[in-house]
Amino acid sequence: MEDKNYVSVIFDDEEPMLKAVAKIRESNQKIMDVFTPFHVHGLDKALGMKRTRIPIAGLICGAFGGLFGFLFQAWVFTVDYPLVFGGKPYLSVPSFIPVTFELTVLFTALGIVAALLIRSGLKPSKKFEPVHPRITDDRFVILVETEQNEKSTRETLQSMLSGVSNVEIV
Amino acid sequence: MDEHFKFTNKIRNILLAIAIGGLLLAIGAIVIFKPGASRIWANVLLNNQLFLGIALGGAFFLAVHRIAWSGWHTALQRIPEALTSFLPVAFLLMLLVFFGMNDLYHWSQPDLHDPVLEGKSAWLNMPFFFIRMVLYFTGWILLTRAMRKNTNALMDSADAKFHNRRRIFSGIFLVFFALTVSASSWDWIMSIDAHWYSTIFGWYVFIGMFVCSLAFIILLIWFLKGAGYLEFVRADHIHDLGKLLFAFSIFWTYLWFSQYLLIWYGHIPEETTYFVARQENFKLVFFLSLILNFVVPFFGLMKLNLKKKLNWLAAVAGIVLIGHWIDYYQMIMPGAVGEHAGIGLLEIGLTVCYAGIFLFVVLRALASKPLLVKNDPFLEESLHYES
Repeated sequence: MEDKNYVSVIFDDEEPMLKAVAKIRESNQKIMDVFTPFHVHGLDKALGMKRTRIPIAGLICGAFGGLFGFLFQAWVFTVDYPLVFGGKPYLSVPSFIPVTFELTVLFTALGIVAALLIRSGLKPSKKFEPVHPRITDDRFVILVETEQNEKSTRETLQSMLSGVSNVEIV
Repeated sequence: MDEHFKFTNKIRNILLAIAIGGLLLAIGAIVIFKPGASRIWANVLLNNQLFLGIALGGAFFLAVHRIAWSGWHTALQRIPEALTSFLPVAFLLMLLVFFGMNDLYHWSQPDLHDPVLEGKSAWLNMPFFFIRMVLYFTGWILLTRAMRKNTNALMDSADAKFHNRRRIFSGIFLVFFALTVSASSWDWIMSIDAHWYSTIFGWYVFIGMFVCSLAFIILLIWFLKGAGYLEFVRADHIHDLGKLLFAFSIFWTYLWFSQYLLIWYGHIPEETTYFVARQENFKLVFFLSLILNFVVPFFGLMKLNLKKKLNWLAAVAGIVLIGHWIDYYQMIMPGAVGEHAGIGLLEIGLTVCYAGIFLFVVLRALASKPLLVKNDPFLEESLHYES
């Protein structure tokens, strides 16, 4: 929290917070982030967030896992260690399908988790820096970016949200 | 709120023309090509199974959603419910099989002297076969009738007891359906290859039925929305139907493969004959069924926004429905008809005829009441549903 170039607007309920998000966006202020103690339905839409691209990561990892699983078995059972079992030919595709399927699922799942961790910068050395001590408890916080002057932003926010009860602007 | 589907004379005449035209085509094909009794009866059985499965799948759809007290489906619940009104007709059509028993099921022939079939005669004998048929249909018809009546009562009265009763009906239906759908698939399809058996067969047929039903519900919604009805069914509902079609198509493949892999691995002659007959003489339909029922919905519905586009989803649903027709074809024809089987005017005509009858019954039932059940307590949730 070295350069404080934002203003936090703190609510103790989700409904006024959702309304404020719409209001702030209408007034062309930029919302950096919103912190909530639980998932708030409709928040993504209210923030106008783009759809996550994580399914693409999942597709790529899954396709790779499926191909890898199939080709690895094909290589093992035909080239590396050919073995007759059950009177089947070396390259017996039906028996490869379960492993191929499982590796597709495994690679997809692990790939999605890895993509999420890398993209959001979560690593073991990451420190938890809460913008407000109670965001994991019962507070909802909107971070509004301040363009030039922190004070003027705070004033406009204050006048904009004057009707809302229990709102705190820091 | 009181929007009615209008079963106009025009729709009625078109459907009757389709049914009669299909029947004439089939009769013409019989007279000209003389396909033999077993091929005719096998086609009757195929279409009985296909449309019975669509009707039963509708009842299953409702029972599963209601027992979980699901909210999202309530805006479109009248459509699967209309599907179930075909069951009495399906019963009459299935009774026709009585006249084709000897052509379809070789276990039903007298003086068999077949030790394997004599061992199975406690289950596979003519009187018990028809007792079971009557039992299955009585249960299905009575239960779905009770469910429909209950929904109709919920349209006129806001009494919560009608709502709570749905769960009881659903529970009874699901237990009865779980037992009978398996047993009926052994009776009507698996016993064609009477020497062969597969313990997963009932599940496999049942999931095929449910996928057909989902595809048909999607196609009906596409038709009704095209005709200007069902404005309250939004992209979110379509999305969920797409997800169900996607998921159950994959589940169908899972069961298909479970059956295939164990038989392929086990390599026991009495089991492998089933797949040998299909892979040698019915190669095209055997693999086509996999492509249409797995590859097409898997890649066609993988992307999120494609599941929300009704036109695209309806196209995939249509392909899947054709795929399951072919799946029934490869289940029934190799055993019942053998090398004389083929897809010709008889097959097309009879299926078109059945489709006409089916749509006639279903759309008439749909038109008899408003499209929304206005006293359903979950209706508000469904109308504002977000997928």
